[in-house]
Amino acid sequence: MQYLKTLLVKVDIDPERLEMYNLSAAMGPKWMEICTEFTERIKKLGPSPIWWAEHDHKKKESD
Amino acid sequence: MIVGKQKSLEEIWDMVEDYQKVLVFGCNTCVAICHEGGNKEAEILGSLLRIKAKQENRDMEIKTGGIERQCEHEYLDQASEAVEEADVVLSLACGAGVQFLGEKFPHKTVLPGLNTTFIGVVDAPGEFSERCQMCGECILHLTGGICPIARCSKSLMNGPCGGSNNGSCEINPDIPCAWQLIHERLEAQGRGHLIDVFIPPKNWITSRAGGPRNQKREDVAT
Repeated sequence: MQYLKTLLVKVDIDPERLEMYNLSAAMGPKWMEICTEFTERIKKLGPSPIWWAEHDHKKKESD
Repeated sequence: MIVGKQKSLEEIWDMVEDYQKVLVFGCNTCVAICHEGGNKEAEILGSLLRIKAKQENRDMEIKTGGIERQCEHEYLDQASEAVEEADVVLSLACGAGVQFLGEKFPHKTVLPGLNTTFIGVVDAPGEFSERCQMCGECILHLTGGICPIARCSKSLMNGPCGGSNNGSCEINPDIPCAWQLIHERLEAQGRGHLIDVFIPPKNWITSRAGGPRNQKREDVAT
């Protein structure tokens, strides 16, 4: 996971966008908690550089 | 085995950005062991280049592949279809593989994705160190199986020099003094007398000093 994060940095993607959790199928409440926290984290980070690149590309095409 | 280190993504991008169809091609033997140039690493690098291309708004088709060895005709034959489809091949093989791929497909541009660093061993997972400089005339029988050419910073034939300090080399304290290692190994093997045997100056004609080297085994060559 640490290695993958270093790869993301190389392409200007915040490594905070990637995380791995080990959970069993019986850990529903923990799963819900992680999903909520991670969703909040991603919302704070905003759209990814890939999204922005595609957005800019589409905008240029429509102009 | 041959050890290599992948070039930085920036350097690789500068090489490939002007091409449309790129094949990132792994070599799944030596450089796969050091986790730099195998088929798996080719897939990872391909993914990074696709992300980069998207961010740079480049219309590129980046494919990945690989073979067991890029230094043998038999394996390269399997690669012809993938190579022919590409505008450029980014090879993750050692320098020999990159050149051999280029010789096999001379009409294709073949780029190096890796810096070939040395012939070495796997000390521990992810850790590699040099052992051989391919001098062409092995003297390991005289030096307790430790090569003074590759492992002594000064490649001394008779040592240690005055820079040996508490078992370390004066060039870098993290480098063990090869001649100290040789002494200790020979003593441990009961062959300590060999340290008194003068090793004459080396004839470097068998090394690179004699120009590019070739080798032929008559009973196998066709």
